[in-house]
Amino acid sequence: MTMFRTRRPFAIVAPVVLALVAGACNGGGGAAATCDGEIDEGTLTMFAHEGSEADAYRAAIDGFNAGPGEELGVTVELTMIPEGQYTDQINAAAAAGDLPDVIDFDGPNMANLAWGGHLISIEDCISDELRGNVLPSLIEQGTYAGTLYSVGSFDSGLGLWAWRSALEEVDARIPSGPDDAWTAEELEGILGDLQEAGYEHPLDTKFWYGSQGEWFSYAFTPILWSAGTGLIDRDDYQSADGVLNADASVAALSTFQRWVDDGLIDADAADDSNFLQKESPISWVGHWMYGPYQEAAGDDLVLLPLPDFGNGSRTGMGSWAWGVTSAAADPDAAWAVIDYLMSDDVILAITEVNGAVPGTTSAIGQSPNHASGGDLELYVTQLEGAPDLAVPRPVTPAYPNMTQVFRGVIDDIVRGADPQQTLDEAVAAIDADIEDNEGYPPPE
Amino acid sequence: MTSSTRAHVLQYAAMLLLAAFFLFPLVYMYASSFKPDALVLSDADSFAGFLPTPFVGLENYADAIERASVFRSFLNSMIISGGIVVLGLVVNSLLGYTLARLRFRGRTLLLAAVIALIIVPFEALAVPLLYLSALFGWLDTYHVQILPFVANPLFIYLFYTFFLNVPAEIEEAARIDGAGPVRTFVSVVAPLARPAYATVAILGFLFSWGQFLWPVMVTRGIDVRPLALGIGTFKTTPPVQWGDIMAYGALMTLPLLVVFLLFQRYFVQGVASSGVKG
Amino acid sequence: MTTPVGSVAPAPPATGRGWRQGEARTAWLLSAPALLGLAAFVVAPFVLAVVFSFTNQRLISPLPTRFIGIDNYLSTFGDPAFWRGFVNNVIFVGIVVPVQTGLALFLAVLVNSKIRARVAFRTVYFLPVVTVMATAAVTWTLLLNPSGLVNAVMGVLSAGTFSPDWLGSTTYALPAIMLVSIWQGTGFQMIILLAALQDVPEELYEAAELDGAGAWRKFRSVTLPGIRNGLIFVVTVTTILAFRLFDQVWIMPQIPGGPLDATRTMMLHLVETGFGEQAIGRASAVAVIFFVLVLAVTLVQRRFIREEAGG
Repeated sequence: MTMFRTRRPFAIVAPVVLALVAGACNGGGGAAATCDGEIDEGTLTMFAHEGSEADAYRAAIDGFNAGPGEELGVTVELTMIPEGQYTDQINAAAAAGDLPDVIDFDGPNMANLAWGGHLISIEDCISDELRGNVLPSLIEQGTYAGTLYSVGSFDSGLGLWAWRSALEEVDARIPSGPDDAWTAEELEGILGDLQEAGYEHPLDTKFWYGSQGEWFSYAFTPILWSAGTGLIDRDDYQSADGVLNADASVAALSTFQRWVDDGLIDADAADDSNFLQKESPISWVGHWMYGPYQEAAGDDLVLLPLPDFGNGSRTGMGSWAWGVTSAAADPDAAWAVIDYLMSDDVILAITEVNGAVPGTTSAIGQSPNHASGGDLELYVTQLEGAPDLAVPRPVTPAYPNMTQVFRGVIDDIVRGADPQQTLDEAVAAIDADIEDNEGYPPPE
Repeated sequence: MTSSTRAHVLQYAAMLLLAAFFLFPLVYMYASSFKPDALVLSDADSFAGFLPTPFVGLENYADAIERASVFRSFLNSMIISGGIVVLGLVVNSLLGYTLARLRFRGRTLLLAAVIALIIVPFEALAVPLLYLSALFGWLDTYHVQILPFVANPLFIYLFYTFFLNVPAEIEEAARIDGAGPVRTFVSVVAPLARPAYATVAILGFLFSWGQFLWPVMVTRGIDVRPLALGIGTFKTTPPVQWGDIMAYGALMTLPLLVVFLLFQRYFVQGVASSGVKG
Repeated sequence: MTTPVGSVAPAPPATGRGWRQGEARTAWLLSAPALLGLAAFVVAPFVLAVVFSFTNQRLISPLPTRFIGIDNYLSTFGDPAFWRGFVNNVIFVGIVVPVQTGLALFLAVLVNSKIRARVAFRTVYFLPVVTVMATAAVTWTLLLNPSGLVNAVMGVLSAGTFSPDWLGSTTYALPAIMLVSIWQGTGFQMIILLAALQDVPEELYEAAELDGAGAWRKFRSVTLPGIRNGLIFVVTVTTILAFRLFDQVWIMPQIPGGPLDATRTMMLHLVETGFGEQAIGRASAVAVIFFVLVLAVTLVQRRFIREEAGG
């Protein structure tokens, strides 16, 4: 009996297993459960990413268990999973039908999970009061196919940090807000002046975050939005043609490419020392660098909006958000936890650690940095202007693929590839994926 | 005399140069683990990269241990790797021996199939295995991280190659003494293949110690999470703490080093030194 | 000339008596655990993957899985990124296998000689092997930075003319990956060859010397045939593992496979398709194509090696 002869049974077994397995794993949870106002006692399971705010999360859940949880008879078992592979672990758990009751996830991944049937709508769970209190940007990020699936305790801020003194050195105008942001030409001029003044590569863009995964999409899609285009046609999310590879897109990214070629951008940097040591006095980065930058520049630090590539200054947004999974036996209990995580005290405890923008207007009011006159007021202005000022990354199940494609686009263009060709190829890849998935038909 | 001394000196020089090549990244890693984060990168362009100065003591290590629940995940890795190695040594050597020394119909085909299976990359199997594991309720356990890796085509092939080299005379002698295949294997042949066992033990340990993709897919909390996943704790939103990452890398490498140093003397034993004359 | 030990052809020696009857049964009994393991954890999932390759299976999807025939194969064959990966793999294998094997053999011979501190040297040469590749890759990335140590040394050696942006250059990125792979893999092959070297009986060398053979002649007619099986193993395995290149090209360049696909490999393509794009069906097709390709290469390799034995 040779080994090959025993292989034939597999050929019969395989399709059977496939059907079993695929049927079990595709489409998590058919029942469209939702909040009905009744909370059952019991234990909930929860995953959260273990990042810089991990301790704040743990403290918050302890607070819930001791406080509201105690009263309601609900206990939460929190499992922290390292941030580096968190999204992959969530996806694997979803694929295996193994999700807990409550999870957090990086905002743009929401649509993919919701489409797969792994999240339930929280429209009936969220109170009107909370809904009105939450930042418009978070509502934008959390809404897929007209239904709200997630809210976040915080949102992210993206802009240009600068050493004021360096700008004054070259007599650069200092914008006061998104409305009078520098145009791309103006910024190019300022960078040129800085270069002549001795700053060899004046603009820091953290290209070395590249392997971080989401940075290139997060940071540089605003260039396209600012040019009036974007990644995909947002009317029906079926095609990127005519948007991603529009003339305006090509022009804007060609300009960006020129900045790299002319040495205006510090493309070889491998750490933050260029801005910290005032070698690259302008830095295109998000809220997480406020702490270190503040420490280095003190009063000389100024926060400015991203440049205007023709259609107004635009910026990115979106960060970790909470959702109730379709595996939750009692969505109301799950929502009670999220509701607690959206309270001002918890939000402020978290944002104090990770420096992000608090997710509710009431919490913002209690944060000196973000309230009117604070250093980070610009972030709030932008987020409150969502989806016009701060634009959410496309809310579509196609996003995981789109971000992988766009990451390649930015890297290729920065390295000198022809923008039109690169964008055309990207469009082909994105459209092919959407077609392969039958246009990602929205639920119901 | 002079030419042989010169050859000697040349040989030493070559070996030292090569040793430097193989060592320097490791020295850099260990030195960096004792430095403050900011200097890890900036010292990377000079020989200061090899010096652990300014010395911050075990600060990075303490930080890494605390943030990444090192004790628990270390224990998990020991259990998982230990299981894979111990079971693997038995299971794989048996098949290797069978292929090398026993005659039976289908032997050649089986050998070819085993070698062919070396090609199959784990990445291709991950998702199907995930589905199957979910079906059998094996997720987030030790055995789901051990059993799939016990039978290893590469190691089977390695054992096969080593057992081929065992001279027929030794087996003949055992057979004449009346020993069956199993007795021959256990008491005579296996002890001669110590280099194979040592190599497979070390490599099996190394491979499973660094396993990343599979644990990501099948583990959730810290209960059975192995050491390799801890590095993700440091891949948070920047700033990146290079000192901690290097310390973590150093911590991960140490047990492997110990295992290697323990087993490495078995490499020298071959049939030639066991006193068998043809 | 005596037949060197170790050049045993694949079939085991006929003993003529003793075990013949129960040998087959014993064989299958002893092999059972391994065969069970291989069948359950390698063959079965691979067969499942093959089935998936004919479907549009997605990691997360509410749509039922459909059979789509050979569409996945067609789109993979028509994907320039896949072919770029294939070409890079071939180049990588073409250089790394001979260089790494040669270097490993050289080291094995050096370590096998009667010099002092050879255990120390042997340990040092094997150290990179016991370093987890993920950790080593991160370390090397820092060292290969344009202003890193590698360029510092290169600058000295080339009097300042040669210090490229290794991982940022389309010309030098793949060589950088090769360097790291050779750095890590050589020790493993060295150990195998070392064990093989030590199996070559002293008498053969003595006999050759009596015949008046010099060092090179001894190497060619005694050493090489004597370590035949070890060499075959090393070349076969290094080739296969080289085709499976993934960790380094995932971790080291600015984005995986960069810059401009200079370090793209077939395995990277598989992972990006399966986990990035979440297209499990198409990723499985890549896996099958990969398997068939490398199998073909391995078969061709073994044909060559066998033929030289018979001639």
